[in-house]
Amino acid sequence: MRIDITAAVRSALFRYGLAVGLVFLALLASMALQDSIGNPFWFFFSAAVILSTWLGGTGPGWLAVICSTLAVMYYFTPPLRSFAVTPRELPYFVTFVACEIGVTQLISWRRRTEDALRQARDELEVRVAERTAELKRQMAEQRRIEEALQATRAELTRAARITTIGELTASIAHEVNQPLAAVVANADACVAWLSREKPDLAEARSAAGRATEGATRASEVIARIRSLITKATPEKSKVQINQVIEQTAALAEGQAARNQVVIKLELSPDLPVVFGDSIQFQQVILNLVVNGIEAMTCITDRPRILTLRTEPEDKGQVRVSVQDSGVGLNEEVMRRLFEPFFTTRAKGMGMGLSISRSIIEAHGGRLWAEPNGSGGASFQFTLPSEDGPAS
Amino acid sequence: MKELDPIVFVIDDDRMIRDGLQSLIRSVGLRVETFASAQEFLGAKRPDAPACLVLDVRMPGLSGLDLQLKLRDGGIPIPIIFITGHGDIPMSVRAMKAGAHEFLTKPVRGQDLLDAVQKAIASDRTLRKERQEVDEIRGRFESLTPREKEVLDLVVAGLLNKQIADQLGMSELTVKTHRAHVMEKTQADSLAHLVRMAEHLKASTRK
Repeated sequence: MRIDITAAVRSALFRYGLAVGLVFLALLASMALQDSIGNPFWFFFSAAVILSTWLGGTGPGWLAVICSTLAVMYYFTPPLRSFAVTPRELPYFVTFVACEIGVTQLISWRRRTEDALRQARDELEVRVAERTAELKRQMAEQRRIEEALQATRAELTRAARITTIGELTASIAHEVNQPLAAVVANADACVAWLSREKPDLAEARSAAGRATEGATRASEVIARIRSLITKATPEKSKVQINQVIEQTAALAEGQAARNQVVIKLELSPDLPVVFGDSIQFQQVILNLVVNGIEAMTCITDRPRILTLRTEPEDKGQVRVSVQDSGVGLNEEVMRRLFEPFFTTRAKGMGMGLSISRSIIEAHGGRLWAEPNGSGGASFQFTLPSEDGPAS
Repeated sequence: MKELDPIVFVIDDDRMIRDGLQSLIRSVGLRVETFASAQEFLGAKRPDAPACLVLDVRMPGLSGLDLQLKLRDGGIPIPIIFITGHGDIPMSVRAMKAGAHEFLTKPVRGQDLLDAVQKAIASDRTLRKERQEVDEIRGRFESLTPREKEVLDLVVAGLLNKQIADQLGMSELTVKTHRAHVMEKTQADSLAHLVRMAEHLKASTRK
């Protein structure tokens, strides 16, 4: 602040000094040209006042007027070398002073207007800059919120996936335990063949081979499940939807067998490749499959069949349908099916279908349900092919 | 007596487990036949030999427990060793009540299974022998005439010849003749032997 004050004082001194200097110059010039031109002080003092006001502002302008008046009074109006003015010269002198005052007022007004204009422009610029910064901040905030939302959505999707898998826990445990049982049986057999009085190497070898096969199968099952539960952030790539369906069916096989459900695959061999996150597709299909199995648990008068079908659609789309022969959907259920937290099961969270639909829609597809003619329900979704609807 | 070599039937829908169990059981010198489903087993011809069944509880189609009931109702007595992925108590209780020989959980230790198999075969052997004896006795008893059967029932009930004669309205001499025929036809050495055989038969038919 002190620096500012010093600077202001210096600037004021300069401006007032300039006014005095200019008047002095005008005086010198007037005196020099006094003999060749009549009353030259008019022009020079007027010029000094105009310049002082223009360059220095109102204050220096007034100072220039006062100095000019005194100088003219002293040097150019009779009686010369005196501050007195003869009555005969008075009107002339007053006219001069009035003109000078008029000039300084006019110039100072002009200057003030221009200053105000400049100031207004400066202020406007500052406000624009402030507003821009504000907007930038708001946009950053918006982006942060969107990112957080995205992360939450991904987390929720994963949570729903884990819930779905949770429903399969018993069959997954079986799925892992089964090959392990094979490993143990074959390893024991191998040892038994080797421990005979005359070890049978051929038998031992083939038993060991089957043990390895079992261990491999167990690790495959685990890998399948791990990929479903660990990854939260979606990764898009080219996806063969038939492959996803086969993997998902393998995962749900145990659950289906437990409930005496037969899973039938009717996969069209010539489907276009789709683009998206295969884990999320698997989640949607798994969800529909688990729902389908669930819908058939109390069916006793007809075979429990879950059909997974793929077929090419118009405009290069792929259609996937999961059809069950279960209890079907009544009107109320049909209407609320895709609402979050709507469920018909005691243990259900009610997020499966709503999340499935948002996954499919995020991939540019559509998911819907319709009743079957022969009882049960059919859930279907379409996905655009990788090349898009254009080709 | 080649056909009397014991045989083990393994029924499991999982090929790797089936092959493993088969190999394991064969390694101790037992004959093994494998089946992928209960239906396949029911459709197959079973050799007449001491046997036991190693059966997976959970299978698509006819489950292990269903097969157990079918065999029991069909009068095919064969000891069953159940193998299950998750030994839940209600299921094992059900199986044991229905006469399961053993209930093992997967993964099964090789030695446990072999022990169970040997025990089951030994028990089947005893039961077969018993059944054969009963069949033989039944054959003999069935050769009796209706009159002789009436006399037999009363003899076994502990009545004296005189009482039997009164009850059936015949002479004591006739009773004696019938009685001699009964002893001869059933090959009974003594009255005690006859009573034992009759009890045995009654017990086995009640079962």
